[in-house]
Amino acid sequence: MAMAEISRRRFVEALGAAGAVSAFALTGCGSQRASEGGSAAAGGTADTITFAQGADPRGLDPAYVDDGESAKIMCNIYDTLLRYDTETCDIVPGLSDLPEISDDGLTYTFKLHEGVKFHDGTDCNADAVKQNIDRQLEPNRTEDMPYASFVYGSEDTNSGVESVEAPDDTTVVITLRAASTPFIKNMAMALAAPVVAPSAYADGANSNEKPIGSGPYKFVSWSKGENVVLEANEDYWDEEHKPQTKNVIFRFIAENSSRVTALNNGEVDIIDGIDASVVPTITDAGNELFDEDGMNINYMAFRNDEGQFTDVAARKAFCQAVNVGEMVKSLYGDYATPANSVMPIWMAPYDEDIVQTAYDPDAAKAAFADLGITSCTMLTYTNPRPYNSIGGQPLAEAIQGYLADAGVDMEIVSYDWTTYQTKVETDKFDVCLYGWTGDNGDPDNFMNLLADTNVSMNVGRYNNDEYKALIAEGLATEEGEDRDAIYKQCEQMVADEMPWMLISHSKNLAGYSPKVQGFFYHPTGVVHLEGVTKTA
Amino acid sequence: MIKYVIKRLLLAIPVLIGVSIIVFLIMRVFSADPAPVVLGQHATAEAMEAWRDANGLNDPILVQYFDFVTGALTGNLGESYYTHTPVMTELLNRFPATVELAIVAIIIAAVIGVALGVVSATHKNTPIDGLATILALVGVSMPIFWLGVLLIILFAGMLHVLPSSGRIDPLLQPVGGTGLYLLDTLLSGDFEAFADAASHIVLPAVALSMYSMAVITRMTRSSMLDTLNEDYVRTARAKGIRKRRVDIHHALRNAMLPVTTVIGLQLGSLLGGAMLTETVFAWPGIGKYVVDSILKSDFPVVQGAVLLIAVIFVIINLVVDVIYAYLDPRIKYSQEEG
Repeated sequence: MAMAEISRRRFVEALGAAGAVSAFALTGCGSQRASEGGSAAAGGTADTITFAQGADPRGLDPAYVDDGESAKIMCNIYDTLLRYDTETCDIVPGLSDLPEISDDGLTYTFKLHEGVKFHDGTDCNADAVKQNIDRQLEPNRTEDMPYASFVYGSEDTNSGVESVEAPDDTTVVITLRAASTPFIKNMAMALAAPVVAPSAYADGANSNEKPIGSGPYKFVSWSKGENVVLEANEDYWDEEHKPQTKNVIFRFIAENSSRVTALNNGEVDIIDGIDASVVPTITDAGNELFDEDGMNINYMAFRNDEGQFTDVAARKAFCQAVNVGEMVKSLYGDYATPANSVMPIWMAPYDEDIVQTAYDPDAAKAAFADLGITSCTMLTYTNPRPYNSIGGQPLAEAIQGYLADAGVDMEIVSYDWTTYQTKVETDKFDVCLYGWTGDNGDPDNFMNLLADTNVSMNVGRYNNDEYKALIAEGLATEEGEDRDAIYKQCEQMVADEMPWMLISHSKNLAGYSPKVQGFFYHPTGVVHLEGVTKTA
Repeated sequence: MIKYVIKRLLLAIPVLIGVSIIVFLIMRVFSADPAPVVLGQHATAEAMEAWRDANGLNDPILVQYFDFVTGALTGNLGESYYTHTPVMTELLNRFPATVELAIVAIIIAAVIGVALGVVSATHKNTPIDGLATILALVGVSMPIFWLGVLLIILFAGMLHVLPSSGRIDPLLQPVGGTGLYLLDTLLSGDFEAFADAASHIVLPAVALSMYSMAVITRMTRSSMLDTLNEDYVRTARAKGIRKRRVDIHHALRNAMLPVTTVIGLQLGSLLGGAMLTETVFAWPGIGKYVVDSILKSDFPVVQGAVLLIAVIFVIINLVVDVIYAYLDPRIKYSQEEG
């Protein structure tokens, strides 16, 4: 009994002691490193840059992922055959010079730079490129390669890559099934296109968690839910893009406000995924704001194939009822531009002469009365989206207000984004909110949405043979005035037929420390950090 | 005692079956179709249907449940739809973060809660008692999410004395070990990393401890008041023993028995993953992982995580009862008699 009593007493004492030690540790160490953003190297330049984003990457092998969070990290680890220019979607040489394209537009010959090595020391040569493409072609392609069909096409649709050959160490010959002008832009994408070292996925190796590329930064570690750490590839082959900072860390902070606080507290150097509401908090703390036009469109789709809005007159009445300019200014402030075209303003071949249906509430009211439309149903998502930073609900309510003024009672049915993606395919609705973030900077990538037979891409089920013919023609036409003219025609058709009510193009927003130099958020949504530095 | 433990373990089986059925049905009935999330925006309807077939989502619900349970019984919780990684591996990777946060939070809650409860009871109906009661009420009623944001704004955003999120500076992160950074850094003698890990855990642990602290305070106060009225306490005082010694050595030791149970149960619920706290503080534990997975309709992850949490809770409950019996011999006797 005596032993037991002593033990019990010790148990309680130990509990108290642990509490005391812990309390000491917590309070005693609390002020350490709180406002440090990374250690400094000699010479006044910090050796670490920390970028905070909203979530973990889905994976780190570009063949198996489809999300922007993965792309931002991967574009620093891997090279692509071609790359986008620093601030635009113009194509410049990457691992290869610009390819020679055969007259029929079917054969692309890439000449690779010699002597490029992957981070594990293996050769980044033509055979490696061939293996990367081959694994994503049918029949090798697996269901978990979400961008393979977009970048490399498929047999069903007679599109994309027919074959890839590596006649020597530095030559890659890609043969297409049908001429496709956007293909060259696909080769610069951060998804599916980057070249992964074959050793990273050979013999069951997990390239999704232990990536090996040839890019300016080497993978060091991935702590799930916490961070990915990269370090500079000192032997990087491309002098122009040599990494300037020793360590790059991607941290994952889900909450918007927490990311902002982390930036203001000096814990991280750059954050993205923010909306206009937190901009004053960022700038008031002395940080910088990056706000350049993004590559996206925020729109409302009419149900074009059934219901009340199959008729152009009904769609026009709806568009007349909503003051898009006023609404965009009111909801997004200076961080979105009213959309006058499907493509963002900066993307060729944007045509400033195209005019969307003007706001005319009286005409809308009269037209709705003539057509007998007194109510309608809108489906919307609730979450913020890259093209709509405030989420679908406030936008839907704003439109609902305008419709009420025009004598139409609009019911809003909202779902979280995951559920919504299915609901727009299965549920009945008159109008729905949707949007698109571009993949490759090619006009086809935007305009093709209204010709797509896949409902998840063409939620309004717009089906116009003339429009589809133009899209097919544009796909195969070389870049230049002829091609621009085709897409201008498409834009004009959208303005005339109004399958969508265009709303806005949102800006890419990011906050960064004033100590950071050389930061640019590419319109494709990736962030190349090799040229970014930070003063200590 | 062994018979008692075996009996409790057997009783846990129907509990776990119930939990598995509930979480399975909730995910199937209320969650969105995972196919569009998994296959991405370029997937065709045919590809999505093929994926559902391949993943058994078109099988009868009973077949799907049977597959889940038979897998779980062999330790195979399946693969994440979204990342194709084994659910068990992902959960085990994140578990140390949740354990570390829960332990520190319960230590804070227990130390402060017991102290407040004792002071409150020994100063019954005084302003000190009133203050402690108000603190307990605030702790019980304040949403953790809101408290977390307040703490971040105050200590990270305004005072800049503590980090707002994460577990440790990534460049100081210990490699290998237990995954409990405070312990790993201490054992390896890396005091800079220990200090950094400690500074990161302060805010989430304080936020998470608030509710438990309030419960422990109220339980300690109530238990202390009962004990202080016992004959042996009166006798001790009559013998001239100092009040403080009577309060601590006679009253508190006996009052701690029910408090120990409460502490154990609170630890069990904290180990289940503090979803809101982990999300607000970007703490990479199980709770945050489950939230992310619910949003992606990642059925295997949510099912596996909830089942694991239920198992943990059952085990903690059992351990608490065993400790209680150890601390209070009367419990042991009554079990044997029963």
